[in-house]
Amino acid sequence: MAVLGIESSAHTFGVGIVENGRVLSNEKEMYRIGRSGMIPNEVAEFHAENAGSVISRAVSKAGISRKDITGIGYTRGPGLGPCLQVGQLSAKILAKKLGVPIAPVNHGIGHVEAARIFSGLKRPVVLYVSGGNSQILKLSEEPFRHYKVLGETFDIGVGNMLDTFARAIGLDPAWGSTVDKYAKKGKYIELPYNVKGMDFSFTGLVTKASGLASRHSKEDLCFSIEETAFAMLCETTERALLLTEAKELCVCGGVAQSARLKEMLGIMADEHGVRFGFCDNQFNADNGAMIALVAERMLKGNCSARIGECDIEQRYRVDSAEVFL
Amino acid sequence: MIVGEGAEAQIYSELVFGKELLVKERHAKKYRIPQLDLSIRRWRTRNEARIMSALYEAGIRVPRIVALGEFTIYMEKLEGRLMKDFKSGRRTALQCGKTLAKMHNIGIVHGDFTPANIIVCNGNVHVIDFGLSGFSRDSEERALDMLLMKRALTRDMYVAFERAYSRSSKDQKAVLKRLAEMELRGRYQSRTIA
Repeated sequence: MAVLGIESSAHTFGVGIVENGRVLSNEKEMYRIGRSGMIPNEVAEFHAENAGSVISRAVSKAGISRKDITGIGYTRGPGLGPCLQVGQLSAKILAKKLGVPIAPVNHGIGHVEAARIFSGLKRPVVLYVSGGNSQILKLSEEPFRHYKVLGETFDIGVGNMLDTFARAIGLDPAWGSTVDKYAKKGKYIELPYNVKGMDFSFTGLVTKASGLASRHSKEDLCFSIEETAFAMLCETTERALLLTEAKELCVCGGVAQSARLKEMLGIMADEHGVRFGFCDNQFNADNGAMIALVAERMLKGNCSARIGECDIEQRYRVDSAEVFL
Repeated sequence: MIVGEGAEAQIYSELVFGKELLVKERHAKKYRIPQLDLSIRRWRTRNEARIMSALYEAGIRVPRIVALGEFTIYMEKLEGRLMKDFKSGRRTALQCGKTLAKMHNIGIVHGDFTPANIIVCNGNVHVIDFGLSGFSRDSEERALDMLLMKRALTRDMYVAFERAYSRSSKDQKAVLKRLAEMELRGRYQSRTIA
């Protein structure tokens, strides 16, 4: 059973093929973000131009032919509408042509499940940190099996926060990772630290840090904003671990590519005797394989959609998606 | 002897001059850099102490602070049962509502107002754990205190709680309106607060 997954929620058009939980191929094309950021229609156009070639590449790299594909998965949301539509349409065409079932996948579940499965954990507390999302999750069986949100951001995701900040102080694109690079050589300046129980808020932090641009070096600001934001994430995650008495923790999403964040979470998990896991960075960045991974499990659980029912949902919340283990 | 352990503090009891006291100590977190760690712990200890004494002086039942260190608060030990550990009655719910209203009236929000942080001793409701508390007159934060209780209490108990709150609060209209709004927000619909 080979399942092909299509991811197109933001600037990445990714296609991955998975067979019994094993990744056969994971191909992608990324829209290059200039200084203007992402213009949804332009990104969608980019996806449409690349869809065919990325799908072909994924199939040939997997060493299979199209008729070996037994199921299709695509990102239903959350994401940018025009971008999601390209993935949705490609998936529908493929499914119709091949006569195979199709599964609409939640993007967040893709990241979470990829990290959970590849790190060999069963029911961890999950810190999901990416551009638009920052949430602390845990599997819950009631009223159906889903990831319950224990804590989340009150305003913007940690990735967007780092991007906004980097643009404000004039760093180069690929902002989040640029901040990470500068942070290695900085000293600490006090910045606002905002947590409330298991929730947190980033707008105060980014406003304050951006306003200090003329008075402090980029290195110091990057170091301090990163340390402060990551400490907030660690503290709230720690609280979630103690509250749920979970013995496993994993981190996923774009920001999980940061070595420093993983180091901090690792130290915290060690103190509580908690097993800490994460997956390869290719699955933390947006990719098609994670969508295929979830779609395969959904299809095994007989959760497929009729082609006419395949829609997109720009604000598809992670806790409204049913999970198939 | 350790009696409790939270995410950021340890609570232990200690004999001081023959009297048993509770000590709340915020310990260091190795995952964050020392400067940040020290400033968070120092600020929170001071903030919590300030709130507890403001409440105590206003005649609201909270543990009395005996001494204060940089990261530690020494307080009297209350002999009683946590509200979450037994089946409490309407009377307790009414007292909780009145107590919360009084706190809000003097400009303090609790931040984690649940039956796990209420001790009933000799039939009187005492509030504990001000680790997430702050000085605020924001209806949003006040409504959050109400919301946590609404999630934790049975319907009848909550009705009594809210009635007592409304009777004593100086701003109940705005708070209840905000509470209704909060419950309609997407993030709370699928979310149960533990």
